[in-house]
Amino acid sequence: MAAGISSADLVPFLWPASWTDPRHVSLFEGGPINCLVFSGAAGPIADAARTAGMSVIYGNSLGAAPLGDVKWNTTVPIIAITGLLWPRMKTAAAGGPNQAQAGPTGAPWIDSNSWVARLAVARAPAKQIWLGFEPPKDEPAPTETAYRTAIADVAATGARWMLTLDEKLSRSLAAGVASALKTWRGILATLAFFEQRKAWRAYIQQGPLGVVSTFAGDNEFMGTEFLNLAARRNLLYRIIDRSRLATADLAGLRAVIWLDQELPAPEAVPKLAEFARGGGLLIASRTAAPAFKGERLVDCPVTGYELRTLGKGTLATTTEDWDDPYFLAADAHDLVSRRYDPIRLFNGSSYWVHYSVAAGAKDSLIQLVSFGSRARAGGGGTAEVSLRIAEAHRSVTLHTLDAEPAPLQPAAVGPYTEYRLPQFAIYAALEVKA
Amino acid sequence: MKRRDLLFSAGAAVGAALAPRRIWAADAPTAPVALARCNSYGAEVLPVLRKMFDQLGGIGRLVKGKTVAVKLNLTGNPDIRVGALPIENTNWTHPDVIGAAVSLFAQAGATRIRLLESPWKSAGPLEEYMISAGWEPRDFVSAAGRAKLEFENTNFLGRGKEYHRFPVPNGGHLFPAFDLNHSYYDCDVFVSIGKLKEHRTAGVTMSMKNCFGITPCTIYGDGAGEDEPGLVPRGGRNPIHVGSRQPSKSSLPEKDPASPREGGYRVPRCVADLVAARPVHLAIIDGIESITGGEVGGRPENCVQPHVLVAGTNTVCVDAVGAAVMGFDPMADRGVKPFERADSTLRLAEEHGVGTRDLKRIEVIGAKISEVVFDYRKARSVNGVPGGWPGQAPAGTPARGGRRG
Repeated sequence: MAAGISSADLVPFLWPASWTDPRHVSLFEGGPINCLVFSGAAGPIADAARTAGMSVIYGNSLGAAPLGDVKWNTTVPIIAITGLLWPRMKTAAAGGPNQAQAGPTGAPWIDSNSWVARLAVARAPAKQIWLGFEPPKDEPAPTETAYRTAIADVAATGARWMLTLDEKLSRSLAAGVASALKTWRGILATLAFFEQRKAWRAYIQQGPLGVVSTFAGDNEFMGTEFLNLAARRNLLYRIIDRSRLATADLAGLRAVIWLDQELPAPEAVPKLAEFARGGGLLIASRTAAPAFKGERLVDCPVTGYELRTLGKGTLATTTEDWDDPYFLAADAHDLVSRRYDPIRLFNGSSYWVHYSVAAGAKDSLIQLVSFGSRARAGGGGTAEVSLRIAEAHRSVTLHTLDAEPAPLQPAAVGPYTEYRLPQFAIYAALEVKA
Repeated sequence: MKRRDLLFSAGAAVGAALAPRRIWAADAPTAPVALARCNSYGAEVLPVLRKMFDQLGGIGRLVKGKTVAVKLNLTGNPDIRVGALPIENTNWTHPDVIGAAVSLFAQAGATRIRLLESPWKSAGPLEEYMISAGWEPRDFVSAAGRAKLEFENTNFLGRGKEYHRFPVPNGGHLFPAFDLNHSYYDCDVFVSIGKLKEHRTAGVTMSMKNCFGITPCTIYGDGAGEDEPGLVPRGGRNPIHVGSRQPSKSSLPEKDPASPREGGYRVPRCVADLVAARPVHLAIIDGIESITGGEVGGRPENCVQPHVLVAGTNTVCVDAVGAAVMGFDPMADRGVKPFERADSTLRLAEEHGVGTRDLKRIEVIGAKISEVVFDYRKARSVNGVPGGWPGQAPAGTPARGGRRG
């Protein structure tokens, strides 16, 4: 596979089938891409790549597979997940190209693969996560902005996209068309931006809710859809693979939801019960809840749930079976309470929010990936994005794709401190120093 | 006799139940309206509101020992702002006004205060909706002191066991009756705290139009159940706005399914029916800061600071004064600003016998209207010509009103 480059540092590119000339390897000179992935025999192209100091990987050696078929215990240091969606905001077919399609959350619907990457990190924590998705076919070719958005959607999770060009762009690039070369430079610059901030990849996803499931078999639909829909409503969470619950650190969580219908294994019960007794909220379906001995019935603000004390904490149990992950995500957010959201974002309905913290430190990172036109993101207003950060902090530095990092000044809004984000394209990161 | 009937007969909102079918302005009841300048949110609101309540004769007679239901105006998505301005400075009733009212109700002896609203497409707790906007609901609990403070999302069945039917006296303009969340029944006093705003469909929205939101979308919404109310609200109130469908069959349908499907016809009638069916005992309008030109999709240049509060025990009288403060003639009707494309809710409520809109019959206490008038159209003038509704030619005199600084 790769020679001389650690798997953690590989920046992959899926070599287009239409590129048959080894000289095309020169397109990568000076850029961050250092690993070419070939779906078939590469011959002299692979030789040229190796000569240029790049790694070469043949797709079949990766064991790439759709999410449901991934072999998480593979000995390969890379988990490659294919068959994913092109990240973008859905536009309504009948409403014209600029009219966003509302999702079940009421906000514009966004196809993002970030929850897949997060899940993969949780299921295979020591592996590098590569995602595979192609530009949509039978549609106009993606713009440079669309490519840069796709890169940001993946990079914000610490995963990498096996960069795949559309047919038109790959042919135009091969022909040296100026507009294609401009798009290519934009793609490379975006990849370079994230590679220059490699340390962020080690940040740990954070949120007030721990989500426990096998995310597989009978639990796959509810588990994965919950992750997708909860993220879309900015319910920030930490994924806990059920098989790793025994060693999972629940510190800092406000609540834990046991998503699966099955009763927790006997060895899992004490850990979850202890979490609740220590003051946490444990959320469980009515089929799983009997594993825990709830105490006094207390008023529950969320319809469809029964709330009982459990030591210093509480146990929330559904009165009906869970069947709709959208409502479950909404209920979970209500049960945990937005009061404990680390970030409150205003006019941000077209943004996907990522929140992570530095390992062993209190510094945090807030990343916003934009999927919409900024001018209309506020439902007709000017869509000036502002946010509040719950944790006390000393400073905030803004990183964007097109400008040097700069300190962000707070603004007082009543008793609160908020940050008003300047106009930015595609992606912004707020580096928060505690 | 039911509790709300008791209070009703005590005179807090008289007239509707006993009114003949069409009472004209000369016969509709009147009540004093307190009007005050309030320069800012924060500490100034409480003493100003206290003085206004005193000017109305004190609210102890209204709320002492009672359960007080307070309908707030929290319309629209809490995450969306006009520019960076908090939503309470533009579209929503400000928490400082709510908190001051809650505090004064509690001080006057209210035993239980329920804050009510029907959040957009949500069966979630009202507190969570407030938190989404950056509010802290516990502040209201503190403001209530010893009185029990509760929150309820009234967009669905909520904590009740059944919906309660509120017949419209005189049979109603649009609906003969409404089925509402229990909180609108299980109270002694009903308070509407609205915002001083224009409204693209109804012309204005103040304490009366605020009551449009008491209709549960499980019955009156796009995704209401066909036969029975839905379990959770889905969609908005298009069935009322444009008559896209009838309510769940368990509730009474509109009187005339062949009536116009136009929002400017339907919304004012529905609102007039609602305030007749569920009388408002105390109406408060937050006009300290607001937005001109309608509440959805506003722009920063439309944000204004009229610096006024309006309060009274007759919701029509209060809204009539509010309309005048905004630079409108409360006697105006369709075709005249602000009702260029809607019938007047004020007139329709007046016809129900809820109250008069005739300023000559309304005693205004405190500030004079002329002292606090803030012309909403002039405030969003362009090149000195007052703004009309989008798509309409502006008309009138040069601008004098002040925009938000």
